[in-house]
Amino acid sequence: MAESPAFESPVSTPYVSYGGVPIEPSGPGSPLTLQDHSSTTKFIVRAGSETNAFRQLSTPFATSRTEDGVLIAGQRPDEWFLVGREQAVRALAGRLDRTGHVSLIDGTHGRAMFRLTGAGSALVLEKLCGLDWNDHMTPDGAAVSGSVAKVTCDIVRNDLDGVPSYLISCDRSFGQYLFDVILDAGQEFGIQPL
Amino acid sequence: MLIVPCPNCGPRNAADLRYVGESRPRPDPNSASAKEWRAYLYERANPAGMLRETWYCRSGCRRYFVLERDTVSNEFTNPPTPVAKLGKRP
Amino acid sequence: MTRLPAQPGEVIDRSRPVDFTWNGQAMSGFAGDTVASALVAGGVRVVSRSMKYRRPRGYISNDYWDPNGLVQVGDEPNVRSAHRLIEPGMAVEAQNVWPSLERDLRAVTGLASRFLTAGFYYKTFMRPAWLWPTYEKVLATFSPGGRIDPDTPHRYHDKRYAHPDVVVAGGGPTGMAAALAAAGAGARVLLVEHCHRLGGHLLWGDEHDRALAAELAAAVETAGVEVLVDSTVAGRYEDNWTGIVQRSHPVAVERLVKARAKVLIVAPGLIERPYVFDGNDKPGVMLSGAVRRFVNMYAVRPGSAAVLFTANPDGDAAAIDLERAGAEVTVVDARRGEGIVRALGGSKGVEGVVLADGRRLDCDLLVTAAGWTAPTSLLNMSGDRPVYDEAAARFFPSVSIGNVLATGGLAGDGTLDELIEHAMATGRLAAARARAVSHRLQAATARAVPVNGEEPEWPVDERPDLARDPHPALFRSTTHGVVDFSEDVSSKDMVGAAAEGYDSVELLKRYTTATMGPSQGKLETVNTVAVLAEARGQTIAEVGTTVWRPPYAPVTMGALGGRLFEPVRVSSIHPWHEANGAVFMLAGQWIRPDHYGDPAGEALNTRQNVGIMDVTPLGKLDLRGPDVPQLLSHLYTNKWMKLAVGSVRYGIMCGEDGVILDDGVTGRIGDQHYMMTTTSSGAATVWEWAENWLQTEHPDWRVHVTPVTSGYTSINVAGPKSRTLVRRLVGDVDLDPEAFRYMQVRTATVAGIRDCFMWRIGFTGELSFELHVPAGHGLTVWEALLEAGEDLGIRPFGVECQRIMRLEKGHFIVGQDTDGLTKLPAVGMPHLLKLDKPDFAGKPELTWALDDTSTPVLVAIQPTDPSVVPDEASQIVRPGTDEIIGRITSSRMSPTLERSVCLGQVLPEVSRPGSELTVVMIDGRRITARVMEHHAHIDPEGERVRG
Repeated sequence: MAESPAFESPVSTPYVSYGGVPIEPSGPGSPLTLQDHSSTTKFIVRAGSETNAFRQLSTPFATSRTEDGVLIAGQRPDEWFLVGREQAVRALAGRLDRTGHVSLIDGTHGRAMFRLTGAGSALVLEKLCGLDWNDHMTPDGAAVSGSVAKVTCDIVRNDLDGVPSYLISCDRSFGQYLFDVILDAGQEFGIQPL
Repeated sequence: MLIVPCPNCGPRNAADLRYVGESRPRPDPNSASAKEWRAYLYERANPAGMLRETWYCRSGCRRYFVLERDTVSNEFTNPPTPVAKLGKRP
Repeated sequence: MTRLPAQPGEVIDRSRPVDFTWNGQAMSGFAGDTVASALVAGGVRVVSRSMKYRRPRGYISNDYWDPNGLVQVGDEPNVRSAHRLIEPGMAVEAQNVWPSLERDLRAVTGLASRFLTAGFYYKTFMRPAWLWPTYEKVLATFSPGGRIDPDTPHRYHDKRYAHPDVVVAGGGPTGMAAALAAAGAGARVLLVEHCHRLGGHLLWGDEHDRALAAELAAAVETAGVEVLVDSTVAGRYEDNWTGIVQRSHPVAVERLVKARAKVLIVAPGLIERPYVFDGNDKPGVMLSGAVRRFVNMYAVRPGSAAVLFTANPDGDAAAIDLERAGAEVTVVDARRGEGIVRALGGSKGVEGVVLADGRRLDCDLLVTAAGWTAPTSLLNMSGDRPVYDEAAARFFPSVSIGNVLATGGLAGDGTLDELIEHAMATGRLAAARARAVSHRLQAATARAVPVNGEEPEWPVDERPDLARDPHPALFRSTTHGVVDFSEDVSSKDMVGAAAEGYDSVELLKRYTTATMGPSQGKLETVNTVAVLAEARGQTIAEVGTTVWRPPYAPVTMGALGGRLFEPVRVSSIHPWHEANGAVFMLAGQWIRPDHYGDPAGEALNTRQNVGIMDVTPLGKLDLRGPDVPQLLSHLYTNKWMKLAVGSVRYGIMCGEDGVILDDGVTGRIGDQHYMMTTTSSGAATVWEWAENWLQTEHPDWRVHVTPVTSGYTSINVAGPKSRTLVRRLVGDVDLDPEAFRYMQVRTATVAGIRDCFMWRIGFTGELSFELHVPAGHGLTVWEALLEAGEDLGIRPFGVECQRIMRLEKGHFIVGQDTDGLTKLPAVGMPHLLKLDKPDFAGKPELTWALDDTSTPVLVAIQPTDPSVVPDEASQIVRPGTDEIIGRITSSRMSPTLERSVCLGQVLPEVSRPGSELTVVMIDGRRITARVMEHHAHIDPEGERVRG
């Protein structure tokens, strides 16, 4: 897809606060950040437990792991997200045994995705979502779905070098709303768009 | 808010699920009398006591399941039964 | 001035004076003062007027619950002045006084006694109804609340969730001790205190008490307990869902914390109960706790000549405090059989008291220490029904609730050490039980860290029972007095109501409104029960008590509203719409262009040239698997087993009741790959509907349903020149009318964007191509179309234009032209109902519906006068009568036909083409209209769409 035009993110830049004030993106190293990852390749695999693909994925429901640079997240008992660089995701998907009832859908365009990172990121999520974000209930690697600010989201806890980090994805059409709402909730903790 | 034991996700806030209602069998559409069909559509036992009911884990695993709840104490008794046995945890 | 010299336990900062106003008069206090302490320090005695009888009132309990202390602060009504701290420039006013606090004329008019006797609402409000406005006017003047300013600026309220192991309600000595013990046992603890600082009654106690308060508070801090002060556990709901209102917060006016407590510890302490006697509501009659708070915390002496009626050690302590403050104190000891009968004094407040032995004493402060009320609210909300203990003269919890534990005064009495020991045991028990709950939660939750070992045994409650101190049962003197200060209900009113037959406590409460005012029964409930027991000649235990329901303390609407989450959805073309003059509409959660300034012009242009519309909100479900045809055949009423690859079909879905649920087209893109479209608002419903069938009745069908609505930006290209336009951007599909026919689908590369699909359908009635473009390139394609179509006269069109065009074409919209009773046969598409299929959703009802000739059917209608457009929902009546026989469901002026066109539902008897109808316009005029032969007002043969 090298000749394709640039991917249009659901989140428009420059970032603007709820009050209408433009927000300057911060550099890396800020203690609490929100980054738009909507253009990241996201494949959805559907496969029942009777399939070879199910065994190949080897990622139980509600957990995630990384294989060859691709994050594999078990979001539903028969559904996984493959997230990563396009080539890597395609390569991994290409290795899946498609015999039986297995579906592969490119969710890149249909899902907005953000990364919330920082020691205080659970505090931000606590303002938006009723799930328990404590470490013992949602440890690194956990994959969970729930309502974030009234939008159903798929969330993977995917810490970066020991710093809590969450990949939050939702239906693309809600992307701008959700991005804004997370920034707003994080304001009291000094959140910065990255 | 009630906590509902989803068989896949675990205990979840009731707001994360959709309450489908009293579980009832669907009559044979080709032989059911109007009375039987409408009982299926509209009649509910609504007991003060044990009730088999269907829930849909809308924000979580997106599975329909059936469980038993005491409508007086709100206690869930039997472990929930996934309606479909798709992809149980290995 | 009655400000005392520095007191050892004072919480005011004398180095920081604070100026504010009281009814416009300049006042001054210190940082840390409540409005109440500052007012009393400034010599104010009367702060409000009673609700009905407009009697002057002063502080009685000097705490959050004080029924007489509600004031207006700026634009904020009903502020608890014995709780709210003063701030520089604060404008405090008395509420609902006329013309002034000192001289409320309604006090002498006698209006109240005529209008507001007990049971007035029930006796008078029934009839005659025409008197209502009069009642309202009179009653409005008695409304106890403050003034609402409609121009109050919006303030930010916040919300968060929490999942602590233990929530402790109450930050007094036992609450702090319980929190410490629980934290020490490894629990994550949230400690909630409704005052501004931890300490509870220790704060107004002696030196030893204050030292202990400081020690505990410091320990709580170092133990890592999360402390919320100036916060209230407002309610406890199913499975320990607790609502906590945090009144002061750095970033918000208030914050609602929704905490799922594994264990809730209830330690609110005890609330001092007023004593009922004649004149007990005169300014200067106070509870012992009120006096101790004034003197010890705020260094304010509320009177100089005090009579103290006491029945307990706390009352005795008030005497010591008052004497230290330089007041003369005469003690009337209930334990020695002494009593008080009547307070004397005029509008300025108490001047003396008559004792039971007939003596009269002069005083400007009459203090009572008559006993305690156990605020069991949170236990009530957990299912407890407290029982009365005669010896201790108060209610106690009756049942044991596994995850709700009471300690402190609710549980019993004893020395401070004994109470703290009980609280520590409670904290440890709570932590242990929370561990068991946590283990269960963690083990059952798929994503959680796995737990090792068996679930811990449910820890047994082995706390020793606290003793219960005997206390004289003091409720009412030999005279009648006020029981409910908020609602101005006297014991005499209650005795009268009981005599009228309202002699159950729940009835009496509603009839007299006692316990239903802003104090919520905190001060009044037990006296209400006691007065009723006396009237019935029964014991308090026999009468029982009312049930305290949420909230524990009044909650502002703002806190409940919290942070409003209102998700909105936009398509990837939204920024273009914004920049190009679109007028938006909200359709469900979608923000869509309604039009670009000229919907009729957009329609004409689309009929003559070419128009493009952003139809992204159209619901799209990706269906894959070998059994998709079975699913489609089950969901839709028509046949789907033989849909060829590359073909598209229209279908209608009905519920099991035969009522139309949704409609749309589904195309077969590949051998086992279909794309279903639904209405924009029906996408989620249809998805769950399909999953329901797949998971419950037909788990054997192998189908994967994936919502892809936003994955594709959908663009409808419509108009006679649409093929020319599409041909300019699509090179890999043969667009010849014979090669790519109406109701067919193709995958395509559009403007260089791969993996698009497009189909020929015709909702607008024009030749049209619906392009579905991967959303990350939707804007690119939209702009490419506009550029390539410039010479063809391309214009974007919005929802309104689409609505006009589809109505001209006679296409109905589910939910607009159908309703909750419309079954499939009513929409005149018999070819879509295939009863020879073995099964499909709603089959039996649809079979029976075919025989139904009594329900309305959908027809096209044209008013006789082409310039008249009847409003949607206008009724169609039988000529010469008001009998409704139908209604207009859609209506527009057709720019193409230059006349009004409608769809409507009418009874079958008037549904034949040519039938004349009478339509009632919104202004009452009646117009005639005619039923048309076809639903389509233009091109009934469909030549345009097939072009």
